[in-house]
Amino acid sequence: MSENHFQPKIVAFFCTWCTYTAADLAGISRLAYAPNVRVIRLMCSGRLDPQFVLAAFRHGADGVLIGGCHPGDCHYQEGNYKARRRIELLRAVLRDLGVEDQRLRLEWISASEGEKVQRVCNEMTEELRRLGPLRLERPQRQAAELAGEAR
Amino acid sequence: MSGPDADRSQAALPAKVGVYVCHCGHNIAAKVDVERVAAFAASLPGVAVARDYKFMCSDPGQELIQRDIRDGLVNRVVVASCSPLMHGATFRRATEAGGISPFYSQMASIREHVSWVTADGGDATEKASTLIAGAVRRVAAHEQLDRRRAPVHPDVLVVGGGIGGIHAALTLADAGKHVYLVEREPCIGGQMAKFDKTFPTLDCAACILTPKMVQVGQHPNIDLLSFSEVEEVSGYVGSFKVKVRRKARYINEDACTGCNLCVENCTWDGILSEFDHGLGTRPVAYKPFPQAVPACPVIDRAGTSRCTFSCPAGIKAHGYVSLVRKGEYEKAFNLVLDATPLVGSLGRACYAQCETECTRASLEGPLPIRRLKRFIADAHYERGAAAAIEAAPPNGKQVAVVGSGPGGLTAAWQLARKGYRVKIFEAAPEPGGMLRLAIPGYRLPVSVVERDIENVTALGVEIATSTRVGNLEELRREGYDAILVATGAPVSTSLGVPGEDLDGVVSGLEFLEAAKLGEAAGLKGKRAVIVGGGNVAMDAARTARRIGAPEELSEPEEIMVTDAARTAWRLGAPEVIVVYRRGRGEMPAYPEEVDAAEQEGTRFSFQVAPVEVVGDGHGRATGLRCVRTELGAPDASGRRRPEPVPGSEFVIACEMVIAAIGLRPEAATLAAGLLTAANGTIQADPGTLQTDVPYVFAAGDVVSGALDIAHAVGRGQRAAFMIDRWLQGEQLDPASFDAKLPVVDQADVLAKQHPARGHLDPRAPAIRFAAAPADFAELEPPLTEAEARYGAERCLDCGGCSECGQCIAVCEADAIDLAMCDTEVELDVGAIIVATGFKPFDARRIPEYGYGRYPNVYTAPEVERLLNASGPTQGEIVLRGGEHPRTVGIIHCVGSRDARYNAYCSRVCCMYSLKLAHLIKERTGAEVYSFYIDMRTPGKGYEEFYGKVMKEGVHLIRGRVVEVSDEAEWPGAEGKLVLRAEDTLAGVVRQVPVDMVVLAVALEPQADAEHVGRLLNISCGSEGFFTERHPKLAPVSTFTDGVFLAGACQGPKDIPDTVAQAGAAAAEALVMIDRGSVELEPSTAFVDAAKCSGCRICLGLCPFGALSLDAEANVVVANEVLCKGCGVCVAACPSGALQQHLFTDEQILAELEGVLKDV
Repeated sequence: MSENHFQPKIVAFFCTWCTYTAADLAGISRLAYAPNVRVIRLMCSGRLDPQFVLAAFRHGADGVLIGGCHPGDCHYQEGNYKARRRIELLRAVLRDLGVEDQRLRLEWISASEGEKVQRVCNEMTEELRRLGPLRLERPQRQAAELAGEAR
Repeated sequence: MSGPDADRSQAALPAKVGVYVCHCGHNIAAKVDVERVAAFAASLPGVAVARDYKFMCSDPGQELIQRDIRDGLVNRVVVASCSPLMHGATFRRATEAGGISPFYSQMASIREHVSWVTADGGDATEKASTLIAGAVRRVAAHEQLDRRRAPVHPDVLVVGGGIGGIHAALTLADAGKHVYLVEREPCIGGQMAKFDKTFPTLDCAACILTPKMVQVGQHPNIDLLSFSEVEEVSGYVGSFKVKVRRKARYINEDACTGCNLCVENCTWDGILSEFDHGLGTRPVAYKPFPQAVPACPVIDRAGTSRCTFSCPAGIKAHGYVSLVRKGEYEKAFNLVLDATPLVGSLGRACYAQCETECTRASLEGPLPIRRLKRFIADAHYERGAAAAIEAAPPNGKQVAVVGSGPGGLTAAWQLARKGYRVKIFEAAPEPGGMLRLAIPGYRLPVSVVERDIENVTALGVEIATSTRVGNLEELRREGYDAILVATGAPVSTSLGVPGEDLDGVVSGLEFLEAAKLGEAAGLKGKRAVIVGGGNVAMDAARTARRIGAPEELSEPEEIMVTDAARTAWRLGAPEVIVVYRRGRGEMPAYPEEVDAAEQEGTRFSFQVAPVEVVGDGHGRATGLRCVRTELGAPDASGRRRPEPVPGSEFVIACEMVIAAIGLRPEAATLAAGLLTAANGTIQADPGTLQTDVPYVFAAGDVVSGALDIAHAVGRGQRAAFMIDRWLQGEQLDPASFDAKLPVVDQADVLAKQHPARGHLDPRAPAIRFAAAPADFAELEPPLTEAEARYGAERCLDCGGCSECGQCIAVCEADAIDLAMCDTEVELDVGAIIVATGFKPFDARRIPEYGYGRYPNVYTAPEVERLLNASGPTQGEIVLRGGEHPRTVGIIHCVGSRDARYNAYCSRVCCMYSLKLAHLIKERTGAEVYSFYIDMRTPGKGYEEFYGKVMKEGVHLIRGRVVEVSDEAEWPGAEGKLVLRAEDTLAGVVRQVPVDMVVLAVALEPQADAEHVGRLLNISCGSEGFFTERHPKLAPVSTFTDGVFLAGACQGPKDIPDTVAQAGAAAAEALVMIDRGSVELEPSTAFVDAAKCSGCRICLGLCPFGALSLDAEANVVVANEVLCKGCGVCVAACPSGALQQHLFTDEQILAELEGVLKDV
């Protein structure tokens, strides 16, 4: 098997009360995982606008991970249910665009599940490494343009 | 510059970001090349300053930030260090101390999310750089935001008055705060008040609880709202608005002195006591336990009892039955007299709708309510005592009553009591109306009617007989201030067939009147045919009468049929035939009356209708030509229509034809401009009974058409009430007369019954009839005293309170008010403490333990009541049969630690089971066997208590009991309950026979916990207990700011933990109150009205009600105080009008671009 040096870029949207806290716990517990996941904190997974996911892909992300409280435990009562619905609908759109299912992942991670954060980040990184970079012509070009601008 | 002005100017300037990379000692620096990261940060556009430092959270570290801001170098701050959940607030404060908005700061977590979790240093440095790039872009888009604070109302609401609520309330009150303590039971004390002793000290529960209860009752800072429930909570932390429903006790709490006389004199004490878990009974007016706070009792009213509710005469039927049950016959008489003077008459002739409605009627048979009324009337009249009711002093006004029937007499009685001078005008030679002139003497003796009328004349009412009133205006001119027309329905409907003017044809009413006045010629040799029902005209009359009449109405003219028949026999008729055009089943006369008439010799010819009276050519009747009928489709009255069968005519030979077809009023002659209808009735307002002529009121059959005595009595009362109001110049408000609680449902009553009070032997004495009656002597025998008491004792007390009035009579403080209604109060508070407690597990859910099947299986709470000296057995541990148990089995974990019911451990059961084992052994000397899974005795002194109980010789068997069985498999087990369990320590199966089984039931959340949770916007966990904010660090707060928890409602716990939590909750509330304000969540939603199209997609998404539509402007408005800051609505907004402070689309997308940057 040839060495695969492709480093996928994964953006994670974590809710403050459960998943972000779990990620902190993973840190406190010194659980090492792949560095490919960059976490953006939201108050609630229900804040996740599907446009963020599309923007992430546009700006060069190979995968998007969303983390929220387990159903029934949402700090704001029902936000995670809204997230679940939206992501399901978004998946349908992404399929039409030719984006593989594995590139969008929704996980319920409670504040005490630091190990789950480690496992999910590692899993997703490996999966996307095998899958390769996101190949959508337009998103790639725009990302390159942006990259050119910044320099 | 510093302060608010500085902030505003910063927002306008381009962002100058300061990036501070923290080493965090080795935590970050060992893995991340912090200098390189700082250099990278410095290269980012918009970054003015980039520093790295060992410990950014230290004072010098924070000073770095503040100095850069003050020097004008930076106006945005990024700190790359630990998690924002750790030091986000710290760096906000540091930023604020520098002189700009605290929200111009952002953290990048390069410790928890980078240095501690990344293996390779190069990877870690790269990741840290991307996160900082994200933070830099983000913070540049942050908006000017100020910290917001809302004021906190200093009052506190404590929901639940158990030991937790009591302690929280006292703590806050002692701190000088004003507390509302709301408790839904009549008194405070909760579950603890039901205990006998508390573990491990075996303190008497009441002894340690009651001083605190009294303190609550007397504390100037505590408003105790007992017997009240929270209905609605709105608002937000610091400003809650709470609606509380104060249930009616029917006793004025402020006036009540707690003397308990009402409780002692209540005539019914057989209600299953909730406080005693149904093991004992209590009176209707009750205090749950003797030391109750408040000391004011409650009168338990489920509604109006069915008999009382259905009585058209407004008599408190349940009340007098309850008094008879107690042997208080005179008081019972006075209770009826309060409504009407016609106690004796009603006791014989009332059609007793109450008995039809009696719940017992659905079991073995109704109570003999009517005959009980006769019993008390006879008792009073025989004793010859004066009535206890007197008239008020004369008030100078006079009222004329036209008609001395039941309506007129009752109205005159009530008016005379109020001090009016009343004169009754009666056209007939004797007073009493139908009572005196129509109902035959064998049903209602004249002497009884006369004695009843004496009640009226004893108050000074004048009755002028043989005086027909022609014109009401004349009466008015004679000086009467008001007139009541109660002339009844004295006009008979004619037969409507040829030959009805022949001699020998007479109306039913005329016939009966003549008999009662002693003017009837003997009927020797004259065969009598009585025609009941009638012809087409009959239906119209019946329909007219039905207007406003109660559903199940007896037909007076049909009763008259049997009255006429039986009278004819007594007058010597050789043959009596009743002709009725429908069938036997359709005849609404009492079946007993029809049977009695038949027994006396009357022949009934059903489905026969009259066609013509045949004469002898000299004007005398000789027979009645009839036709047979068939019953066809139902008519307007719902009964099948009789159709004549052609060619079926025949003649019945007779000398007398009595037409008992129908009666109607005749009021047209009274003139004075009274509106009358075609059927002769007077038009009067159904509520006020006032006619179009203001000084004329009308009541009874003259308004309704022919109905019955009870109805007339009721209307007479109403008329008197309204006349009195009118003469006093007050509003005639129909609702103020006769307000009643809703009637109770029969099914509810039966469901609540004590199992022992099921079907009873009716033992109703039979009515005897003479075979060949010769006179009009009264037929129905009176009830003996034993029969009366027995009948009254069958009462199921449907409505709870019988309204017998004894509590009112003995209350010296005049505190009882049966017209009280629930009231609502609105409270303004800043904080709420929830201390609603628990409920015991329902052991019937485990059928194999036999609770509810075997009488001697008890739950632990029930045994607490047995042990308690003020409980149902005065502290004796006894079996249902009364003997002491010699062996007792205690089963632990009933409903706990059980995947089928509750998986959790209820924490207190091992301790309370050991306590019960000790107390039972101490009281009875019985052998006690405790079956446990584990012994959980963790508290202070608990393990020692366990040791002590073990040493006392309680047998402890480690094994879960599989079943409790009454099947004796060997002689020693006869009559006992056998507990089967595996003794896991000995490795054998044991079968232990015991006399008594005690189930240590689990603690469960209250049945309405979810409802209360929704009211207060707090959530329940999977087991149903309220969810705390953090199980370790915030056990008494909830996720709803301002709402705190205390006690078992948060999870099973014992009394010391409950008290500790209550104190903690009080302290949390005090923090808020003493600070005076709370900081509000900054990341709330806000609306750019210009972009909002009013599509309303967002409105339904907010669980907190923070979004509303401004209907006029058609834009959504976000309430930034109700908003909790989740952002769910923002994600849904199609136009981007809704945004979230600190989490705007712009900010998040900026961060996104930053973290995806190639570094």
